[in-house]
Amino acid sequence: MSTVAHEAAAAAETYAMDGTFWTATIIFILAYAVIISEKVHKTVVAVVGASLMIVMKILQQHEAFHIEELGVDWNVVFLLISMMIIINLMRPTGFFEYIAIKSAKVGKGEPLRIMIIFAVVTAVLSALLDNVTTVLLLAPVTLLIADALEVDPIPFLIVEALASNIGGTATLIGDPPNIMIASKAKLNFMDFVYHLGPIVVVMMVVFLAIVKVVFRKRLKTREELKERILQMNEMEAIKDPVMLKKSLIVLGIVLLGFVFHGVLHYQPATVALFGAGLLLLLSNTHDPHHYLADVEWPTIFFFMGLFIIVGGVVKVGLIKMMSLKVLALTQGNMFATSMILMWFSAVASAIVDNIPYVATMNPLVIDMAQQLWPHESGMALLQHPELMPVWWSLALGACLGGNGSPIGASANVIIVGMAERAGHKISFMKFVAYGAPIMVLTVFISMIYVWLRYYYFA
Amino acid sequence: MKAKNIMEPLKAYLTPDDTLKSAVNKMKVCGRGEGLVGVKGMVVLDAGGNLVGLVSIKDILGAVIPSYLKVTKLGGFTWDGMLEEMAKKVADKKVSEFMTTKVVTVPESAPLMECADLLIKHNLQRLPVLDEQKKVVGIIYVRDLYYRIVSVLFEGQEICPL
Repeated sequence: MSTVAHEAAAAAETYAMDGTFWTATIIFILAYAVIISEKVHKTVVAVVGASLMIVMKILQQHEAFHIEELGVDWNVVFLLISMMIIINLMRPTGFFEYIAIKSAKVGKGEPLRIMIIFAVVTAVLSALLDNVTTVLLLAPVTLLIADALEVDPIPFLIVEALASNIGGTATLIGDPPNIMIASKAKLNFMDFVYHLGPIVVVMMVVFLAIVKVVFRKRLKTREELKERILQMNEMEAIKDPVMLKKSLIVLGIVLLGFVFHGVLHYQPATVALFGAGLLLLLSNTHDPHHYLADVEWPTIFFFMGLFIIVGGVVKVGLIKMMSLKVLALTQGNMFATSMILMWFSAVASAIVDNIPYVATMNPLVIDMAQQLWPHESGMALLQHPELMPVWWSLALGACLGGNGSPIGASANVIIVGMAERAGHKISFMKFVAYGAPIMVLTVFISMIYVWLRYYYFA
Repeated sequence: MKAKNIMEPLKAYLTPDDTLKSAVNKMKVCGRGEGLVGVKGMVVLDAGGNLVGLVSIKDILGAVIPSYLKVTKLGGFTWDGMLEEMAKKVADKKVSEFMTTKVVTVPESAPLMECADLLIKHNLQRLPVLDEQKKVVGIIYVRDLYYRIVSVLFEGQEICPL
């Protein structure tokens, strides 16, 4: 049977544009439209949309709760919750403030040097923890340092937001799109380090070079103000040395666990859950309520709701219809698919939240693979050699696209909010003026990289 | 005895558009004879004379402390002269930006026990007293209730020397 005949057969078999199809499609489109409009909180929309998918009998409750392809991806949910618990236990120790103050002192109070060191620290922490936490903890210190040096904090804050999104691209846990892609494509931590790590390092070097050129002349301070930074004693930041030691040991175990989880046949969520449990135990807490309550439940429920909403449109065949359209457009040319997907993802992620975007694209990519290689299944299908560059293009586009606007990534939203509360308003266009060129440049670098590594030298 | 019997009648007030510096000035002038700082709090009334907020000296301090210190434990990394620098920076901040907007009030007819309960429950120093048109007519201070307690305990007696 020819490929075309296959496609037709597969399509005819699995979706019919009946009442159920349209009901699911309308719930999906309405939910996404309301999320984009920001008229109702996105978590509320996700929970309502998900419940409607079940109430309208598009999905059975069993499918929504227990079938990975159609409902909640617990691997993603538990990985997120566990990492949040670890960070909640770690935060009061003062570790992050210590790192930030230490960095400013290493920078000898020189604004440009501090800006670059902060960008590197943000990128590394964003890759190993998550970028929201990183900027949430570093931004206050940045504002303090800027006040001490009497310089404008806005460039520092924007550079940190951009660095966190670039750094987060490097690892499986660095950015939500990567967590979601890893779970769906069954990719492990080292796959991300091996495939995305090198290019993220290149992008960071280019980014820092640009930062240096742009701000070299603009960031000046007086000698006596630098003294304020040098006077600071970073050890004062550490509030609980015993717990800090325990946290660092557990974090070390978790990171080692991530490095070896593929070899040891553990899922990333297992590693993180073990870390969260161990640190809770070591903390000797008799009241875990506080650490558990501080999990970002709205984010978790946003994910759970989206998985179910997307599951609904997967089941009725909307995603299949979309994937057939994409295949018709690219004629099965995987290089073209990768490039289009990368740029489309970047632009989409700059404009809308990249979490719902990736939640929709994941099943679409898998469906495309099923059309192209109907005889493959399991890992052979998900990690088909020709499909791999498509996954990397999706990850690069969705993560780096976040830099395009102040609403493109959660880290940006936090930075802008914190700056405003401190009396430094970052307008939409001001962020775009910094972020959009960096987004275009980094996606361009990624494009060259994917082309060279997976097509030219493949 | 009711709230209106012990309240201090309203003498002066702030407007939402006053700057921090002019608010401080009004509080200072109004409180002549009450020590160095003057009154330690004032109600904020809009153009229609409606209560929209309250400013206390704690709100002034809160406006001077940078927002990033409030959400962190970075106080140990501040420097000599920072408080003074920040105070100068926020001199033009509008009262509407730092006033307390959730104001606990009582009607003129409120019993004194209700006033005492509200002051302690919400950890307040003063309670604006509203008339039936919801306009501020006076303010009850913690010390007014305290003096009331003192006076009933020593009714007709001299306060004993230690």
